Amino acid sequence: MKRTTLLLGTLLIAAVAMGQNEKYYQKMGETLGQFANINSVEDLQNLANQFHVIAGVETAEWLPLYYEAHCYVLMSFMDQQESSVRDGYLDRAESLIDQMAEKAPGEAEVYVMKAFYHTGRLVIDPPGRAMNISPLISAAIAKALSIEPDNPRARFLLISNEMGTAQYFGSDTAPICEKARQLLQSWDDYQLKSPIYPNWGKNEAEGIVTSCDQ
Amino acid sequence: MKHHILFSLFILLSVNLLGQSFIKGTVTDAHGEALTGANIYIEGTYDGTTSNLEGIFTLETSETGEHILCIEFIGYKTIRREININSDSLRLDAIELKEEINELNAVTITAGTFEAGDKKKSISLSALDMVTTDGSSGDVYGAIQALPGTTTVGESGKLFVKGGDSRESKTYIDGTLVYVPYSSSSPNRSVRGRFSPFMFSGMMFSTGGYSAEFGQALSSVLSLQTNAMEVQDQLNISLLTVGAELGGTKTWDNASVTTSIGYNNLTPYMKLVPQYTMFEKEPQSLTGDISFRLKTGKSGMFKFYGTLDRSSLTTIEESLENPGSTYTYNLVNHNQYINASWIGEIRKDWILTTAFSFTNNLNRISVDSMKLNETLMGTHAKITLKHRFSDRLRLLAGSEWYSRTYGMEYPVAEMEHGSYTDNTITGFMEAEMYASSRFITRLGTRFEYSDYLNRSSISPRISTAYKLGDRSQLSIAYGWFFQDPDNPFLLQTRDLQFERADHYTLNFLMNGESRMLRTELYYKQYRNLVKYGLNDDYTYDFINNEGKGYAYGLDLFWRDRKSIKNGEYWISYSYIESIRDYLDYPYASVHNYTSKHNLTLVYKHWIERLRSQLGVNYSIASPRYYNDPNSDTFNGEKSLPYNSLNFNWSYLLKQNVIIYATVSNLLGTKQQFGYTYAAIPDENGFYRSAPILPEAKRWFLVACLITLSRDREINQLDKINQY
Repeated sequence: MKRTTLLLGTLLIAAVAMGQNEKYYQKMGETLGQFANINSVEDLQNLANQFHVIAGVETAEWLPLYYEAHCYVLMSFMDQQESSVRDGYLDRAESLIDQMAEKAPGEAEVYVMKAFYHTGRLVIDPPGRAMNISPLISAAIAKALSIEPDNPRARFLLISNEMGTAQYFGSDTAPICEKARQLLQSWDDYQLKSPIYPNWGKNEAEGIVTSCDQ
Repeated sequence: MKHHILFSLFILLSVNLLGQSFIKGTVTDAHGEALTGANIYIEGTYDGTTSNLEGIFTLETSETGEHILCIEFIGYKTIRREININSDSLRLDAIELKEEINELNAVTITAGTFEAGDKKKSISLSALDMVTTDGSSGDVYGAIQALPGTTTVGESGKLFVKGGDSRESKTYIDGTLVYVPYSSSSPNRSVRGRFSPFMFSGMMFSTGGYSAEFGQALSSVLSLQTNAMEVQDQLNISLLTVGAELGGTKTWDNASVTTSIGYNNLTPYMKLVPQYTMFEKEPQSLTGDISFRLKTGKSGMFKFYGTLDRSSLTTIEESLENPGSTYTYNLVNHNQYINASWIGEIRKDWILTTAFSFTNNLNRISVDSMKLNETLMGTHAKITLKHRFSDRLRLLAGSEWYSRTYGMEYPVAEMEHGSYTDNTITGFMEAEMYASSRFITRLGTRFEYSDYLNRSSISPRISTAYKLGDRSQLSIAYGWFFQDPDNPFLLQTRDLQFERADHYTLNFLMNGESRMLRTELYYKQYRNLVKYGLNDDYTYDFINNEGKGYAYGLDLFWRDRKSIKNGEYWISYSYIESIRDYLDYPYASVHNYTSKHNLTLVYKHWIERLRSQLGVNYSIASPRYYNDPNSDTFNGEKSLPYNSLNFNWSYLLKQNVIIYATVSNLLGTKQQFGYTYAAIPDENGFYRSAPILPEAKRWFLVACLITLSRDREINQLDKINQY
């Protein structure tokens, strides 16, 4: 009797736990699916809200925070309103990234998002901000690569930075194009730790290679 | 028991089997305008939705019973409402979100103030501007002089603000006083700031009505924030036509160290470019500095900066008292400066700042065989506590200790050595109150007690700002400001009181995305200024506090980063009327460091194809007055108007190499800053004179800045890349 109770109890807990976990993956999967249909700032806000709700339930997870931050950074790029509105989105992203970095300090993707976020700050006012922010972008990319040298998003950000500099100085872009091609070839070799892990950037990397081929 | 478990299972399952219910409502702001994109969700569940274009939402949920409904929107305060869900749909009253007052939407006090930081909406002057604005080769004070409210005093180089003497303007770094912010030089030769503009990432320049946090300044406060932690290891090499500098940065996850050493020697330059001043030994200096950053805990930051500097020069001056003869003026300056600070959030919404600075400055002056040593040792310790009660009320309280020992000694002459030490204790408190994001009032008071003078003062400060529209605002400031009399007077007597200035400032600001118009009207009243007579041996007689004066004026500033592609320009104009009766003035008169009209035009252009930024700066100022002892009128003579066209060029040679060149007074316009007169008249009762000239007709500088690092991504592009 006692044993049965114990067994049933364990099963029950396991079932609930698995249910929770399944529900989390299912919910994340559903929400991530909506990324494909983003057309406006409103769509992104809607998506950010959904990730926020998930983050509120799954307080141990960092991925909902990651995607919510991602939405806000994308909003800062997309919204052509004045800088205070765009900085407002980034203030929100900043606090999410801080929370996420605390939960998962060893994840390369955290620093990739950090680099992306700093880029958002930079493009609002390049003349006024480049001096302070450019080094932060480079440092975040370097940190991500030190954790995971083969992380395709970190490599992509690095290549796109190098490309910008090379084009600016009119120097040879061939070696960078070669790096971009290699990145694209090996892109799918990178094993995602789970189906809901960050998986963006391939299209953008293809964009670089395409412009190289022209 | 078994039943219990089955029952629990049943409950668990049944929750999911129950029907869905709907929660409906509308989200608006305080004016009833619909809010689109608000997040509405049931706390602790996956159930949430977003308000649509009409602010309407429909939340579908399978939950029942008591729950908390959260309504969140960026820039607004979150509402948490208790709801009871049954199977029916729930219709809520209109939900009104209150705007949260934050750094981005709140009105800021602009009366008297120019502020620039990382995230601020209106950047009036960034650290970068300081390098690329003027012809003075990256001098902080040279760039500040392109702002309205300042007067260019060519033979000084220091800050003169709204009719105030340069000693009435104080510089603070990370909250503490810099006792000796300028380099030392011989009389009537222009000086520079001691600190590189690249050290700073934020600045606040207030020309009146400043916060109760700042004291001991009658005219203005320049408060500079040093850079946060460095994030990349690098080596910097700077080669200049007048010297060289080598610096390095080492970083860790939570700390960074930067150190540099620099040597300047103007001998080769001055041999090449003719100078008005005659040198026996051209200016040279050796400087070393180190700065350290350490992140402590979650939000804490410890900063340390220390620098050692030695500079010297020897000039040959013509004697006005003995025509045809000359004397040598030799100056050796030793300066040591330390600044340490810690800032951190000790509890939620409680921010503690502690800061400390120490200055030791020695000027060894020899005029032929006459020797004079001037020493100043200053300490400033400060603690402030800031508490945010809510987004509408913030309180700042703090206390300071200033200690200063000033001395003059005459190593060879049989003259008495003099020195004095003053300790000043202060306390201040200030409240910032927002009636709404459009209206702020700042009320403060400051107490100071000086043990040397045995006097105390209480200064009230009040300022407000009100947003008239999205882009325009009105701001006013009023306050009393006190300052100790100047060192030479205190050396002789302690029977003096604080000098006092009252400021009244009215400011109107229009601030678009990349355009800014700032106008300011002000009135300043001075009292208790030091006045004295002179004895036959040129020592001070009857030093008293009966001096007084006033100043009023208008400042205009227009900055446009939009109208010209790849270009930006500013126009800065100041009108001032300033009268004083102080020092040895026989009666109230205009003083010699004020120009009635000051106009500065700055233009910068980025040429993509040449990877270059060109900067042009044109300054013009109406004549200043000076005193001719041969004339009956005091301060009645007019100098030449000031006119200078400066030019600078920054060229990105390679990713990590910048070439920078600047020339001041490109056109070679005649510059003359009045006359100096002999201390005693000649046999005919006539005071001989000599014109006060700049060091040279023009000033040239070429520099090459190289950055080396392991990471190829790092470059100095950031330092000049404007567009």
